[in-house]
Amino acid sequence: MFFKKKKFTKEKAEKQAKNENLIPTSRELMSAEFKKRLQHSADILENEVGNSGITLFSIGNLIDKTMLHRDIIEPIISQSFDSIQVIMEHLSVGEIRKTDHMDTVVQSVLDGSVVIYLEGNLFVLLAHIPARLGRALSFALNESQVVGPQVAFTESLMINLGLIRNYIKDSNLSVENLVVGSRSNKSVAIVSLNGIASQQMVGIVRKRIQNLKIDAILDSSQLAQLIEDNSLTIFPQLALTERPDRICDWLLKGKLAIIVDGSSLVIGSPQSFVEFFQTLEDSNVNWQIGSFLRLLRVSALFLSVFFTAIYVACLTFHYEVIPQTLLITLTESRARVPFPPIIEAFLLEFVIELLREAGARLPTKVGQTMGIVGGIVIGTAAVQAGFTSNILIIIIALAALGSFVTPSYTMGNVIRILRFPLIILAGFWGFYGIMYGFCFLLIHLLRQSSLGSPFLAPFYPPRFEDWKDSLIRLPFSVTYKRPDQTRPEDEYKYDYKKAKDHN
Amino acid sequence: MKVQYQPKQQYLLNTFLLFFIFHAMQVGIGIQAFERIIFSEAKQDAWISVVLAGIFSHVVVYIMIKTLQINGTSDIYGIQITVYGKWIGKILNCFFIFYCLLAFMIILKNYIEVLQTWIFPTVPTWLFSVSILLLVIYGFTGGIRVIVGVCFFSFILSIWMLGLIGYPLRYSELNHLLPIMETNIVSIIKGTHKMTLTIIGFEILYVVYPFLKEKDKVQKFAHLGIAATNILYLLLMLLSIIYFSPGQLEKTIWPSLTLFKIIKLPFIERIEYVIITFWLLIILPNLLLYLWAAIQGVKRTFGKKSKWVLLIFILFIFIPSLFFNSRININRLNHYFSIIAFYIVFCYPFILYALSLIRKKLTSTMEKMQ
Repeated sequence: MFFKKKKFTKEKAEKQAKNENLIPTSRELMSAEFKKRLQHSADILENEVGNSGITLFSIGNLIDKTMLHRDIIEPIISQSFDSIQVIMEHLSVGEIRKTDHMDTVVQSVLDGSVVIYLEGNLFVLLAHIPARLGRALSFALNESQVVGPQVAFTESLMINLGLIRNYIKDSNLSVENLVVGSRSNKSVAIVSLNGIASQQMVGIVRKRIQNLKIDAILDSSQLAQLIEDNSLTIFPQLALTERPDRICDWLLKGKLAIIVDGSSLVIGSPQSFVEFFQTLEDSNVNWQIGSFLRLLRVSALFLSVFFTAIYVACLTFHYEVIPQTLLITLTESRARVPFPPIIEAFLLEFVIELLREAGARLPTKVGQTMGIVGGIVIGTAAVQAGFTSNILIIIIALAALGSFVTPSYTMGNVIRILRFPLIILAGFWGFYGIMYGFCFLLIHLLRQSSLGSPFLAPFYPPRFEDWKDSLIRLPFSVTYKRPDQTRPEDEYKYDYKKAKDHN
Repeated sequence: MKVQYQPKQQYLLNTFLLFFIFHAMQVGIGIQAFERIIFSEAKQDAWISVVLAGIFSHVVVYIMIKTLQINGTSDIYGIQITVYGKWIGKILNCFFIFYCLLAFMIILKNYIEVLQTWIFPTVPTWLFSVSILLLVIYGFTGGIRVIVGVCFFSFILSIWMLGLIGYPLRYSELNHLLPIMETNIVSIIKGTHKMTLTIIGFEILYVVYPFLKEKDKVQKFAHLGIAATNILYLLLMLLSIIYFSPGQLEKTIWPSLTLFKIIKLPFIERIEYVIITFWLLIILPNLLLYLWAAIQGVKRTFGKKSKWVLLIFILFIFIPSLFFNSRININRLNHYFSIIAFYIVFCYPFILYALSLIRKKLTSTMEKMQ
């Protein structure tokens, strides 16, 4: 008895929901229902088209007005219709579909559609004519490159996809659309090259995105944080780039690209640690120069993370390791400094971080002034006032320079932050502290993974084939294999035996 | 418990990693100090002792691999149970677990002693002990692949130290090696016996074997790994003999570290400070693998969850590590440990091999009779 009742109410509720979801048959009811669902917003547009009995509903700001007039209103204004099918034949809009669900109607109106409503019909037409909100293609400013294309992604998903298709004219390029966020309803596209990219990884990404329970994401960088393997670590495990050529290079290596509508940064995954220190320019210049640049960046990484810490360790505990001639200069410059090295180093690191943050938030011209103020005024004054030593200023400037060499902004931030715990360790335990920090980082990095593939690949697990394109870059005739890290379905870029005579 | 042991696919290791595991395990704390001990027995022929110990270790590893191959995919914990039966097997497993923990503690103690003697005389033992143990816990919880990763990087990142050998070589005197074979054979054998503490580490194969992917390549990479270590030991032994005068070498506790004192670069002197602290990365794989072997033993023998076992073992190591602080005590500890290690690592594999062989013969004849 009890169960029957419950079942009955459930059925009733379902029926009611279905009724509510249907398109109302009279114009007034439709208008009222539409407005109710969109909270009676001021930007709702409702126009009756002449005597045809057709009413158009839309959100005025989201549609292209010219198209509305030219392609929808003009063809139908002077005629009268009795069925929705006939209207469809008269319209010259590319993207058009039929529906009888109110939910679908509201959803696609929010996406830039016009509802074409004919009184007495159970179906409505949805013509997709979105306004082009956004900007034209522009230069890649954050990841600028001397050799190579200059174009960057924009905030439009469609334009970004078009850019990728322009580089890779392959029928195997697959684009899968998903929607994220119960409120933002962002379109997210997983792009991969079928036959190269591992379907298992596509599955992992799809599952992680589908399983997200979140109200809104506003940018791809937020999505990247949500779908990372380990969100507790400081290291980014997915890379963001604004360069379409870089994304295409990744796609050709068997990686996946994740594009979020409204975001000019595209996620590339999986990523390994060394890849954050590579740019596409390394492939565009000669391999000797590319290798040199990569080695330079990795040495800058070590310089940036450990140099200040080594200074602190040497001057706090290990005076013995500094040769006598160097020690004289060091102690002379430190003679007037009243602080222990750790406080001195912290002070100056703090100033550098302040300068960087101030520079990042200011317009370019003011930013330059900041540089002068910071570099000359604070630097010189701090030494003259006896706050810090000259040598520490050199060291800290070098370390800061080293962190800006990193091509990836997200990784550059990590490197800057890592310095602080290492300085503390060096201040307490000297070289042992630095080594302790190093061992911790090593274990930490060994434990990370990106979409299930090891973060320190190709070094560990050792895949000697892939070392050819990691810290160094060997010529293209040698790097004929795709990296093992992406577990590509097609391992070879080309048949190297056939290509031997030609490349 | 199951005697055969097949780890899950994602935990398997490429067999060539065994090279790095062996090298990382053998090079640890012994290498800093073995020259004096061998030299005090075998004088200028100490290098012959090192060579003999090396050859002997190859034989032992060969026997170990044979034992493992007879028993299919199993480790020492499974083999001991098949060979001795449930109860004796379990007791012997406990012995092996205890041995691993003891090795862990010996390495930890010796490293802390070096740190305190050379760099931080006033920093208390417990601070080093706690810090290193925390690092070990973090590494251990990453699983076997992370541990082997530490082995790998420990090898790769410490290759640069070999380049430093050139500096003491400039001050060497080759005549110190002559006359060859002056020492009688007994002293040389005694020196070989004293190599135990330095050369052990390859017994980890007994535990790591099921995790290796291609079992047919184990012989190759195991011997390569041991050969690499033996060449390194031989180099260091020869270098110490020709660099130090005999009287000096007998009084130098850590000849390998003292060797580096001569190095003088334009921007850095006293490079042994860097090397001693860098040694943390070299002992880390030792500590991690011994702890892993011990906990693997508990898991295999008693089927216990490893979280609590880890905690108990860490306490079991931490508390004794606070005692035995003087050089004499540590030396005595090393001495007793090397006796235990000699029997477990160098003698026991032959017994185990013979017993498993007999057992196999017996079972096959029994099957035939049936």
